[in-house]
Amino acid sequence: MKSTDRNFIKRLQHQEEDALEFVVDIYLPIIKGITYKVLIPLKNEGVIEECINDIFLSIWNNSKKFNGDSTDFRKWISAIAKFKAIDYYRKASKEMEFSSDYMDLNADLSAEDELIMLEDRTELIQLINQLEPVEREIFIMKFFLGLKTEEISRKLGLTKASIDNRVYRGKKKLTKKVTTLELGESRV
Amino acid sequence: MKDIYELLNDANVDDNEFEEMAVTESEKTKVKSVLKKAITKKKRVSWKMKSLAVAMTVGLSVTTLGLAFPASAGNIPIIGDIFRFLDNEKTGLYDNYKEYSTAMNMSQESRGIKVTINDAIFDGKTVAITYSIESEKDLGDDITTFGSPDIKGAKGMAGSSKISKVDDYHYVGLYRATPIDLAPIGKESVDIKWNLDSFIRPDTTEKVKGNWKFTFSLNATDSRVQLSNQSTEQNGVTVAIEKVSFTPMSFIVYYNQEVSKKVSDKWHGVDAELEIKDDLGNIYLGVNNGGSGKDSYNMSRSNTFEKLDPNASKLIITPRIRSYDSTNSGGVEFTKNGPKEILKPVKSGVGNEEFVMEDIVIELEK
Repeated sequence: MKSTDRNFIKRLQHQEEDALEFVVDIYLPIIKGITYKVLIPLKNEGVIEECINDIFLSIWNNSKKFNGDSTDFRKWISAIAKFKAIDYYRKASKEMEFSSDYMDLNADLSAEDELIMLEDRTELIQLINQLEPVEREIFIMKFFLGLKTEEISRKLGLTKASIDNRVYRGKKKLTKKVTTLELGESRV
Repeated sequence: MKDIYELLNDANVDDNEFEEMAVTESEKTKVKSVLKKAITKKKRVSWKMKSLAVAMTVGLSVTTLGLAFPASAGNIPIIGDIFRFLDNEKTGLYDNYKEYSTAMNMSQESRGIKVTINDAIFDGKTVAITYSIESEKDLGDDITTFGSPDIKGAKGMAGSSKISKVDDYHYVGLYRATPIDLAPIGKESVDIKWNLDSFIRPDTTEKVKGNWKFTFSLNATDSRVQLSNQSTEQNGVTVAIEKVSFTPMSFIVYYNQEVSKKVSDKWHGVDAELEIKDDLGNIYLGVNNGGSGKDSYNMSRSNTFEKLDPNASKLIITPRIRSYDSTNSGGVEFTKNGPKEILKPVKSGVGNEEFVMEDIVIELEK
């Protein structure tokens, strides 16, 4: 049996290798597009290649966590690609100095935001799980997908002020929760 | 608790905001090969565990278990289908080769370089061999082999050889050769000997020496031959279709070109190429196998085309004739006393000329 656009998600979730090949065939152009856009300032083809491989591997390893149809699938893997690429960018840019024209990628993020992202990610995810749905969505867009406040406000139909407000409140919740944790304790 | 991947299910992503980028077939294959390696490592372990569990309950012997997963690392080709991988121009000619070829998996290791013959196929006319090279050190982007496979009994060969880099330590290659003077058709098997003693890096002209020797026989794939006596003549050139041989993955058209003296006096070269379609509108792409004859004008030639559509009932062959002058390209003959230039006779034809002949239609026997 072969993977087709109708059965590939099921086959992928059953860990059939040909489904992964199918996904590469169909989605490499979009994954490559997303990865290049984020990582091209690094001027390092090797990192881009590594990131693309990592994205597909993550899709394979986490395929069971996806739910929806093939339109949703495209969105899901695009989100993974964006998130992974930003991750690679942050890791690589920590080791690298940039000329000023590349600095605007995270211009929307404060030093405090950066700190949140550098914190152990599992903790951040745990805490995001405890936020209200709208705040959760804002946090994902802001911290994992690297969207700017304007973009988030456009998507959610909320004003910029409202977004900033919710981010502020969300962060406050996070800090409160983080500070109530004892040293070495983590919250599930 | 949801992890990041579950959370991303609900991420508000507008996929229109992303732009796709052009991707080549070899990029896809590279990603696939990296992934394959990454996932088979993981998968094989779990598979082994499973087989072990089964073995314990039903009490299978250890030897049977050994047979259950013979996929040792050496046998897993880095590229599944080298034929297709190397078909960069996407002719589709090699799409069905893997399916009908013989898996050889013969490996030889010498000086840190392992050469494996992966598949080989003989269609009664042409031999195609795929191989892969695994090296401990990077051999550069572009390497060629020194020493080609030899077909026993053949005095001359026409063909092509191609090596492509997969990653720093892996290369794959395809060797394709048509022995010119072997029994013209229907030969049932060929003996092949390949003494490969070095790779050459054109960038540094460095020779990487070693010793890889392979000997094997190949049986021809099934084929069916349909003879033809149809020909067409125009402007002093005759093209006659002699026969067509059908194999499961291709078909080969054998034809003769004859050029009248009037034409050969005018042009340095005249080549007849064939364009083939069928009654269903399929266009077949082919590759020239070369040919032989009493001179360069009068030749017996053959072309191999991609797999025939089983529903086709006619082959429509359009010969295209190209005449050219090669005044500007000289030749050199090597003699005992050193190189000697061959002088080209002056001919009246200038530049090149092309014309299309009337179609030859072959009714396919079923």
